[in-house]
Amino acid sequence: MDALLMEICSPFQKASTFVIKTVHGAFQEYLFFFHLQKENVMLKQRITELQKENHQMKEMALANERLKRLLEFREKISTSAVAAEVIGQDPSSWFRSMTINKGEKDGVRKEMAVISPEGVIGQILKTSPYHSIVLLITDYNSAIDSIVQRTRAKAIVEGLGENRCQLKYLLRKEEVVVGDVVVTSGLSGNFPKGLMVGEIKKVEKHGHGVFQYAELVPSVDLTKLEEVLVITGSSLPLQEEKGKKTKKTKK
Amino acid sequence: MKRVILPLFVGILFLTLQTTLFASLPIQRVRPDIMLILTLYLALSYPPISGGILAFLMGFLMDLFSGNSFGLYTLSRPFLFYVAQLFKDRFYMGDFSFQFFFGFIFTLFEGLLILLLLNALNPGPLGHLYPLFFTFLLPQSFFTGLITPILFYLFNKGSSLLSNQHGMGIGERA
Repeated sequence: MDALLMEICSPFQKASTFVIKTVHGAFQEYLFFFHLQKENVMLKQRITELQKENHQMKEMALANERLKRLLEFREKISTSAVAAEVIGQDPSSWFRSMTINKGEKDGVRKEMAVISPEGVIGQILKTSPYHSIVLLITDYNSAIDSIVQRTRAKAIVEGLGENRCQLKYLLRKEEVVVGDVVVTSGLSGNFPKGLMVGEIKKVEKHGHGVFQYAELVPSVDLTKLEEVLVITGSSLPLQEEKGKKTKKTKK
Repeated sequence: MKRVILPLFVGILFLTLQTTLFASLPIQRVRPDIMLILTLYLALSYPPISGGILAFLMGFLMDLFSGNSFGLYTLSRPFLFYVAQLFKDRFYMGDFSFQFFFGFIFTLFEGLLILLLLNALNPGPLGHLYPLFFTFLLPQSFFTGLITPILFYLFNKGSSLLSNQHGMGIGERA
């Protein structure tokens, strides 16, 4: 009798246990998903924070690298220079200039040379106590006394308005080819001698004039500038250039 | 006084935008001239004397922050202001397509004026600047034209909100 009753009741017990387990499981699963969802939101937030942090770290590393190069370059040039940050571009599209965060209070004066480790950027056009306007070499009001590094041919680098310059008063007899590097001559007094200006991209000898036409692309990407150096002291030749000269005299 | 100080602040804000945000965009070469749009708006909604002084100050601000040492914008902006004032009561300025055309034509006109002045004032020939008419002046004028109705609408909203003087804005005046 006991056994019979047990056999009758057990399936009900089994079914009840199954239902309870299923409901409990479903509830557990619901709780698990609920937590999972919360955790997911939290993790997503954390990922965003870490991504932001990572981005900031990358930016800092890049800025650090740029400043390190600028500092190394500043040590190379044997004259006093002030590092400045670019804070704005020219408001018009006809002219090429930019605003920097250093002015008269930092020793910046009109016509001082503005350079970067990659080469010449321009010269100071206007100053105020804490800010200055730099006239870029690509502006057609800009003119810099230069020489072609290979042939030592003299010329004036003038801006063409766009991201290119022309070599003016380059004698026709000078053998200048595409790819020649143009450096500062140091004669204008503002720029140290031997600083890279750009690379010749086009040479034309049309007509019967005394001069030939050459176009160059600046060595510095003027659209991506963030930090620059303003030469505040008297310009002296670059240490590298000086080193080369002493070696030559020794030989 | 508020009517003079506020556009000046807006001008400084626009100049900041033009030299920083717009200059960092990929289209920076043909970025719209929002300072010019502001000058045009002043021409349509301000009296000749106070508006003229504001236009002069806008041009002066442009010259101050640009590599131009001749003061071309200080000359061109008041000039554009008075030319635009001639259209003030002759056309219905509330129409978006007309506002686009208005911005487009005046940007083009100022570009040509600057080009002429540059050629007249520079000792050397600037023939290489003429191709810029197609490569950047036309696209820039187009973009400025596109932005003009949007900014005019915002200026109208702003001026009516601030002064509560309905009928001051261009669209509402008509």
